[in-house]
Parts: sequence; C-alpha cells; structure tokens
Amino acid sequence: MSDRPDDPDIPLAPLPTTLPPSPFPPLQDEATPYLDDPEPSPTQPAEPPFTDPPSDWIQTADAHDLPTAPGPEPVNPLLALGRFAFPPGEPPDEEGLAARDRRWTSRVIVIATVFLLTFNIASVQNWVRQQEPGWVTTTVSRLSEVWSEQMALLGAERPREAVREAYENARDSDWRSGDSTTADGS
Amino acid sequence: MLFPTLAFGVFFLFVYFTSWSLDRENGRRKLFLLLASWFFYAQWDWRFVALLIASAVLNWGVAALIAHSDEAGRRKLLVGLGVAANLLVLGIFKYYGFFVEQAGELLARFGWERDLPLLEIVLPVGISFFTFQGISYVVDVHRGKTPPAKSLLDVMLLMSFFPHLVAGPIVRASDLLPQFDRVPRLTREMAAHGFLLIGWGLFKKTVIASELATRLVDPVFFDPSAYGALDLAAAVYAYAVQIYCDFSAYSDMAIGIAALLGYSFPRNFDQPYRAKSMQDFWRRWHISLSSWLRDYLYVPLGGGRKGLVRSCLNVFITMLLGGLWHGAAWTFIAWGALHGGVQVVERLGRAAFQNRSVIPTWIGVLVTFHIVCLGWILFRSETFPMAMEMLAGLGRFEPATMVTPFLLTLIVGGLAMHWLPPRAVEGFATWLKPAPSLTMGLLIGAAILLVEAVRPDGVAPFIYFQF
Repeated sequence: MSDRPDDPDIPLAPLPTTLPPSPFPPLQDEATPYLDDPEPSPTQPAEPPFTDPPSDWIQTADAHDLPTAPGPEPVNPLLALGRFAFPPGEPPDEEGLAARDRRWTSRVIVIATVFLLTFNIASVQNWVRQQEPGWVTTTVSRLSEVWSEQMALLGAERPREAVREAYENARDSDWRSGDSTTADGS
Repeated sequence: MLFPTLAFGVFFLFVYFTSWSLDRENGRRKLFLLLASWFFYAQWDWRFVALLIASAVLNWGVAALIAHSDEAGRRKLLVGLGVAANLLVLGIFKYYGFFVEQAGELLARFGWERDLPLLEIVLPVGISFFTFQGISYVVDVHRGKTPPAKSLLDVMLLMSFFPHLVAGPIVRASDLLPQFDRVPRLTREMAAHGFLLIGWGLFKKTVIASELATRLVDPVFFDPSAYGALDLAAAVYAYAVQIYCDFSAYSDMAIGIAALLGYSFPRNFDQPYRAKSMQDFWRRWHISLSSWLRDYLYVPLGGGRKGLVRSCLNVFITMLLGGLWHGAAWTFIAWGALHGGVQVVERLGRAAFQNRSVIPTWIGVLVTFHIVCLGWILFRSETFPMAMEMLAGLGRFEPATMVTPFLLTLIVGGLAMHWLPPRAVEGFATWLKPAPSLTMGLLIGAAILLVEAVRPDGVAPFIYFQF
C-alpha cells in the first residue's frame, strides 16, 4: 500500500482521494508539502521570489501614436469663480427657447416704453388735451404734468423739440427762398 | 380706438402681457383675446358687438350643419343659405340706403314717385371685412378645404380678432383656425419683424399719409375748380401715395401686432406701383381681397375655363362687384369697371399676341400706374361731377400754389419705397434678431420718438375703415 495519493493504481477507498475546494482564498505563505520537497531546510526562511515590475510595453503600438499626458491648461481665476458661482445650466428645450424669446420680447417692450415715457411725455399731454374731461384724463393729465416738469429738469424733452423744430422748418420751406415761414405767416 | 394712438398703446400693453401670462391654458387665452377684441370694437359702437356675435354664431352653425350633412343637395342648400344670410347683413347695413335711393330716382323718372322707406342706418366699422371672412369660412367648409372649427369660441375669435377686425387683411379660416389649436410660439424673428412693421406702419400713416392728406389732397379734392393742372396732378399722385401709405400701414401694423401675440397673418401688399399690368397690380394690391374675389367670385363664375370671352366677362363682373364692395356709390362702381375694363383689354391683347410681351417693362409700369391714378380720381371724388371736374382741370395750366418741396419729397419718397428690395423689412428683422433686448428696445423707442416728434396732432381714421 502506498500513501501517495496520486498513485492511480492503488485505490484509497473508502477514504476521499481529493479535498473539496476551500471557500477561502489561498494563503500567501502556504507551506509546500514536504513529500514534494526532497530536502527540506526548515531552519532557513524562504526568500520572496524576485519579479520584474509590470511592463507598459505594447507590442503592436507605434510609439508616435501613443497619447502624451496633457499639460494643465491655464485657468482664468475670475472665469473659474464665475463658473463656480453660476454653473451653466442644461441647454434649453423647445419650450425653454420659446420662453426665452418671449422674455426677450417683453424686455424690448418694457425698455421702449420706459424710453418713451422719459423722452416723449409731451405725446401723453397732447393726447390728454384731445380727450373729453373725465376722472381718468384728469388724473393722467396731472401725473403727466408733474412727470414732464421733472423730466424737463434733466433736459429729456430737448431731443424731441429739436427734431420737431428741424421738421417744421423743412415742412414750411417754399420754392422761392428755401426759407421757412410759420403757420401764421411770420 | 385707432392703432396709432396712446389709448391703443395702453390697450395693447395690457393685452400683450395678460395674454402671454395665460399661455399655460390655450382656451383661457383665446377667451381673453376674444373679450379684448370685443372691448376694442365697442370703442366705436358697443351695439355692433352684438352684430359681430350674431354673425359668428350664424356662420358657426351653418358650417356645423354642413359638416354633419352627408347629402350633397342639402349641403349645397345650406351653403347657399349661409352666403345669402351674410350678404343680407351686408346689404342691409351697407347698401340699403343706396339701392332705395336709386330705386326712388328710377321710379320718379318713369313718373311713379313714391316715398320709399329710407332708414338712417349707421355703417358698422369693418362689416365688409368680417362678413367676407364669414362667407369664406362657410364656403371653405362646404368645399372641404378647411375642417369646421372645433368650437364656437374659435369662430368668434376668427371673426373678431382685433388686429384684423376693422380693416383687414381678410384672414381666412384655413390660415387662422389651425393657429388657434394650441398656444402659439413667439420667436425672436417674429417679434423683431412685428416691431419693425409696427414702426414702419406708424411712420407711413402718421407722417406721410397724414401730411399729404391735410396739406394737399383734401383741399384740392374739396374744390378742384380752384386749382390748376399742376396742383391737380400733384394731388392725384399724392392721393396714390396717401392711400397706399394709409392702407398698407394699417395692414403692416395689424400683421405686426398679431405677430407679437404669436399669430401669423398673410401679406397684404407687395409694392403695388411696380406692377407692369393691371392684372399684376391686383396681385400686389390688397392681396387678401383680390385672392378672396378670385376664389369666391371669379372661379365660381367659371373663371378662365370657359373660353376667352367668358373669362373676360367673368373678370369684368368680378372687378365691378369688387368696386361695389368698396362703397355704395356710382364712383366706386365706375372705379371697378375701369379696372375690369383694362384687364379685359389686357387679356384680349395677350390672346392676340399669344402671350408674347410686346411692351417694355418700364412702359408697362408707367402706363399701369397712370391708369391706377385715373382710377383713384373716381375713388376719391365724392360724386361723378367732382371727378369730371378734376379730369377737366388737368388741362388747365396754371402755376402751382399748393406743392411745396416738402410735399414733393413725400410724394417722391412714397413712390420710391416701391423700389426698395422686395423683402426689406423681413431682411432687416433677420439682421436685428440677435441684438440684445436693451439695444432693440432703445432702437424701437428712438424710432417711435422720431415719428411722434414729427407727426401732426391727432390722427385721421384709416381710409378703409369706411368700407
């Protein structure tokens, strides 16, 4: 009888011939079976085998094609701060684009209205004069008078008056002299 | 409430901001626009809002009955009744007095003088426009060109929508009803286009048309015998520019206002005085009316399908009735007859020369423009004798007393704008579209300020309001 388990000629039944697989990972320093080592030397500690570091060599690659590591891009600190404070949002969808266009249109209307209220308040006064007197027209008239006086202090009525004057001169000029005459003939 | 007034400006600001704040729910938005349109119309005469509602209910009901009817004869009867009902409304308000007066004169001529029942009927503003819209809706549903509206609200808004309500353009159901199906999208291009059209229209109406009317056209046409040929000719050219600037300004502003509310209207003018024939003129002048007359009058009469003579007769009848549409007066009928007669001559000429162009384009443009001016004399004169007086005065050479360098500049400028690039406003709008809102707002404000600074105080109603 042989106690070598790998000898196929001698059955070891009823004892098992192979061990069941271990559920644990193999140990790092597992001792080698002494039966495989003809001259074991238990007094000397086993030295770790020397291995080369893993190579990064790629057999099929051309060295000129390999990517080189990108250098750090210079970052404008103000831009970086701005991106940090106001991170860019998602690109707008169709509804978002429509809403953006509506906001743009509304801002244009508001800006044009404020511009006209500043420089063209005389038109409001002219309009009020043409209306029948009433609560609304009286209120608008008083408000526009006060506003007009305040704007006049800033000189906001001058552009309109200058354009009006130039236009009336051109309108009233005649063929003979090219001079302008006013409506009353003076 | 006229477009170039402060009252309308305030009204529009309210409508613009409120309507876009209701953009989550299309039904509510349409209802608001309908109420705003009725309010706008009530500024002339609130009683006629009821007429507008009744007309819309009538057309909606007839179109619904046509759509639910499978029998061809019944559908034909319904469309006939619908058209007749619309024409009855138009006839009572617009033509009753004219026809009764003519009948009375005719009876008196044969010695049967009678006191016919003359009624003082006030002409509702824009009745010709909304009636024609109603007719086109009913006929289009009958022809299967447009499906019936999904609700009465849509038909009411189609007929009452304030930008086109009183002086067109005649917007058909097939143009506007699909736009009512959902909340419209307002793009920057539409908005820039709308702003420019409103500003351009404001300039044409309040500066060019108003100045020419008050300083030259109205005084000369009021008493033609007091002026010589130069003044009369200048007044005729001035009227040609005035009516173009007046009516195209209304159309431009209507299209611009609708664009800011998100709706697209068809173009109504395309540089009409560049036309090289009378047929070409009607493809460029009041396009929404001329295409309406073509589709609902000329084509049902037989169009050009029944030979040359019949097509000439059809085009003459169409233009004659087109003249009558403009007003209940013999001068308008004569104006229509002139336009129809010239088109008949053109057709016969084309047939004789087998469609070869034998006249240089510039001569065609010049001749067409002067025939159109001749027609404007009939159109503008209160009566036939006054029109004849104008024509007779064109042979009386006296020094000009009315024409100033300023007025001449307006006339030349008004004609020269026909030689701008054909889509100049659209091109300019595309160019301005990327501008920031601040730049655009200041630009629009400055443009309106310029117009406001030079315009005369007050504003006359648009010429086409009376039609």
